[in-house]
Amino acid sequence: MQQQPPTSPDVSSAAKSPLFQSSTQYRNWRFSVEQLKATRAALNQASVAAIRNTFESDSPGSSSDVHFLDANEEHLLVKLYIIKISQLCGHFRFPEEVEATGITYLKRFYLKNTVMDWHPKNVMLTALYLATKTTNHPISLESYTANIPRTNASDVLDLEFLVAQSLAFEFAVWHAHRALWGIWLDIQDLPQAPPHEELQRIHDTAMQHIRTSRLTDVELIYPPSQIALACLSLAHPEIAAFWARSKNADTALEAIESIKRTITRDGDTPSVDVVREIDRHLKICKNPEKVVGSKAYLAKRAREEKEAELKRKKKAENVRKATEQGNPFGEVLVGQANLDDDD
Amino acid sequence: MDAVEKANAERQRRWVKDQKVGEGTYAVVYRGRELATGRKIAIKKIKVGQFKDGLDMSAVREVKYLRELQHPNIIELLDVFSSKTNLNLVLEFLDTDLEMIIKDRSLVFLPADIKSWMAMTFRGLEFCHRNFILHRDLKPNNLLIASDGQLKIADFGLARDAADPGYKMTCQVITRWYRPPELLFGCRYYSTAVDIWSVGCIFAELMLRIPYLPGESDMDQLKTIFRALGTPTDEEWPGHTKLPDYVSVGQFPRTPLRDLFTAASGDTLNLLSKCIIFEPRKRISARDALYHPYFFALPYPTHPSKLPKTAAQTAAASRPPDEVDGNVDPGGGAPAGVGKAAPPKKLKRKLSGHDLSRNIARKLDFTAS
Amino acid sequence: MSTNRTNAASWLRGTTIRKGTTTPATRSHTPQTQTSSSIVFSGGVKDGSGRTSEYFSMDDQCPVCKSDRYLNPKLRLLVSSCYHKMCESCIDRLYTLGPAPCPVCGKTLKKMTFIPQTFEDLVVEKEVAIRRKLAKEFNKRREDFPDLRSYDDYLQEVEDITFNLINEIDIPETQARIAAYRKENAAFIELNQQREEAYVQALKEQEEAERRERQLRAEEIRRAEEEERDAREGERRALIDNLENSDADAARLVAQARAEALKRAAARTAAAHQAVFAQQQETMRLRAAQSAVVVPDQPHVPLLDGYYAYEDLCGLRSSYFDPASDAVRRDKEGIMRAGGYRVEEAWERALRYAVAGLDITPPLGEVSMPLPITSRVDADVAMASV
Repeated sequence: MQQQPPTSPDVSSAAKSPLFQSSTQYRNWRFSVEQLKATRAALNQASVAAIRNTFESDSPGSSSDVHFLDANEEHLLVKLYIIKISQLCGHFRFPEEVEATGITYLKRFYLKNTVMDWHPKNVMLTALYLATKTTNHPISLESYTANIPRTNASDVLDLEFLVAQSLAFEFAVWHAHRALWGIWLDIQDLPQAPPHEELQRIHDTAMQHIRTSRLTDVELIYPPSQIALACLSLAHPEIAAFWARSKNADTALEAIESIKRTITRDGDTPSVDVVREIDRHLKICKNPEKVVGSKAYLAKRAREEKEAELKRKKKAENVRKATEQGNPFGEVLVGQANLDDDD
Repeated sequence: MDAVEKANAERQRRWVKDQKVGEGTYAVVYRGRELATGRKIAIKKIKVGQFKDGLDMSAVREVKYLRELQHPNIIELLDVFSSKTNLNLVLEFLDTDLEMIIKDRSLVFLPADIKSWMAMTFRGLEFCHRNFILHRDLKPNNLLIASDGQLKIADFGLARDAADPGYKMTCQVITRWYRPPELLFGCRYYSTAVDIWSVGCIFAELMLRIPYLPGESDMDQLKTIFRALGTPTDEEWPGHTKLPDYVSVGQFPRTPLRDLFTAASGDTLNLLSKCIIFEPRKRISARDALYHPYFFALPYPTHPSKLPKTAAQTAAASRPPDEVDGNVDPGGGAPAGVGKAAPPKKLKRKLSGHDLSRNIARKLDFTAS
Repeated sequence: MSTNRTNAASWLRGTTIRKGTTTPATRSHTPQTQTSSSIVFSGGVKDGSGRTSEYFSMDDQCPVCKSDRYLNPKLRLLVSSCYHKMCESCIDRLYTLGPAPCPVCGKTLKKMTFIPQTFEDLVVEKEVAIRRKLAKEFNKRREDFPDLRSYDDYLQEVEDITFNLINEIDIPETQARIAAYRKENAAFIELNQQREEAYVQALKEQEEAERRERQLRAEEIRRAEEEERDAREGERRALIDNLENSDADAARLVAQARAEALKRAAARTAAAHQAVFAQQQETMRLRAAQSAVVVPDQPHVPLLDGYYAYEDLCGLRSSYFDPASDAVRRDKEGIMRAGGYRVEEAWERALRYAVAGLDITPPLGEVSMPLPITSRVDADVAMASV
């Protein structure tokens, strides 16, 4: 005797959670325009203060005529390096996925760090390298560095862990270009579907817009489906509207307008002169603590060494005490996690 | 940067390492607990900076997928924190795995038990496939069992997203005994069906209590498969002779599954046969498998809490947490999965009347009788 | 350090065998090597199962007569009680007539006191022998002590004594300590020795039982196979007889015989199934008895998670205009199909991305940036408070 298999989805009435909403991208890397601005400003201020401090402790008064970058200038510089990622990907013929992921990693990195601590030149290389790994298009480090002028392995590897840490090890990214592909396939189902040549043109134009959108902040604010729809709308507004309506996604239409405005406004390449100027300032105001071999760097290392030494002494002291009081082997390592950093 | 470090340090304080339980090539596994609740956890510490290409790919994959997947039948990643040179994954602690349970000859499996395990496996796998993720390393060793009997898929070190059209994937995946013929023939464009083949092999192993298709080399694996299931014709599996590493390994006749799985019901064999169809596109999908009559037929799948447990599990359950015997398991275990308790101590096991009347395990003989 | 004590004791125990006599309470046979002497030197170090291999190296050379394995393939070096090596022929030559001094250190040796070498390093050999002897008397376990500290003290004492004996420091004083311990703990020693023997006995019995079971099983298989073979033989012979003797149609006879064979095979599998079924009933009864609370089995539910994958929003068509996948779909060689790659999966994924989150409103306002939520626990809390 058999039980009849149920014909409809069989979960209880508890609200179902949509897949995108359970991704790390949705949970942790979505911000409002204001939040982005505030975060970058805060990061910038904090780092300027710290660097100024380092300058002052080295030679008082040295920081007064240094032009520190502001948040906007940082942002412009990052934008330039986003473009460089695209160029590199073209050079290596990396798939779209790798390029998009590398760019996302670079953007997210600079929501946690500042350009004055870490120059985007190397971060960009590392972010891209990491992206080849996480998207399953790995390339050996050797072949990677061999094809990039004036780059050796340590330039890329030294930052890898830092980048991964700043990303909170959240590597999976939902990209707009795939959403675009999906919408583009789906519009072929509409009664108003354009003929094939038109479809091809629409696709190519929309993809251009997607690439432009990567220079802006939209992926940090909107879901990829909305970004894709916006790009499609820029290429062919009518079909985009039809499709949105067919999905009952009227709420999306408002967001789309906002995205379109952002892409058009912010999708431009920064002017070469402006960037050169910023780079010049950066050479002077960058954090000496991060420059290997500089005085401040060595001082910081010395400080860290001292701390580590103190920790080690403390640990040895604990062991000595334990031995004397009778339990050298101990039973359970309760609460030792703090000392366990690199055991 | 320092803010990131500080956040990490705080996160680190929530978890306490108690004891090392295993070590692998790139990770060390500790048993531990959550400070606030005492919940048992495993901490997998991955050393960074060991390989010339930087962060190890398996580590990257594990973190990437476990971060995104949350499902009752997939191992849960509770937290990730890092120190200067280590990446620490905090995973739920699971006592044992399906391999240990299969090998423990003191346990008897009911058909309902097998049904229950298969259902849980298919559910976990279906969720992966629903997210377009191929696991590519399914085997009893990677199906961990929790203390409440729930089965969890672990070890995503070989997993990847389904490829975009035209992009190649490697065929050197999945442990040999569970590897489908298309991979053995070197094909570079495949799909989620490769995982279904593995599940089919696991299904058979649950019934036979020994591995179904144990080949000693890749070539021998093909022979073993064909001896068991017959050599496929071009009608059965169109185009397979064009695969990159195709070789002819001999003509073997097809023998009915019924001959080997004498005690299995019709539904069981039907589902099993659908998992090990040669043409990958015809293989059943994980979702369809969950709707197969086998699962709806009587008996009902055993409730997970009543599934057979190894002696170590029962012992661990009755003893207070601090005294669980955590023998260091040198070399084995750690790279694959998470902290597991030591294998049950063989000494002092009493023989029961059961054991003597049990059916004897014979080596499977696929040669024509 | 403490957990291995009991195992160490059994490991260190050794016994001497004399050729020709039976030794009680030991296991199987130590590998016997060919020697010319009348006494087989065994003993030395054994593991719990009584099987040891003797140390052997191609560079072995007797320090006394300088013969090596090249000249004398049967060379066997033994070790004296003062831990100097010598080959069997030298031992024979020097000691057959009675005690004599050791050629290296002059200590008086007897023929009996030579043992085969187990370890490459003679220092280790000496240490192991000393520990073995001590372990016979210093055989206390963790349970015999009130707390960990006193147990560790005891172990420390044993180590001290061992160290002294190995390095020949303060020998008379150390011997006195041993004697004192012996006197004080006579009862304990006796008790623990008995425990050891009981354990070994139990081990032996268990292995015996296992071996017996294995034999039984093997016999059963053999018997079953033989029966099958005989049955088949019988059927064949019967068939041949029938064909020879009867006038009936050959084809019909063969068919009849085959039908009967099938029937018999079916009966056999039915019997096997009966056995399996009975065993399963037994298991179920056992389980029901074991669990205090009976949790009922639930009917199967295919999917138990609460995820929504936008199925209602995307409908996959069988084919699209899609230049990106043209080559793959054309699949001239057929390897896409053979490998099982499905473009449909890639399309499904794209379609899902197209609709995922379409109705989400973007975050607004300057809410303070939360710490990156990396743990599920945090996420649940955060979600709950939203």
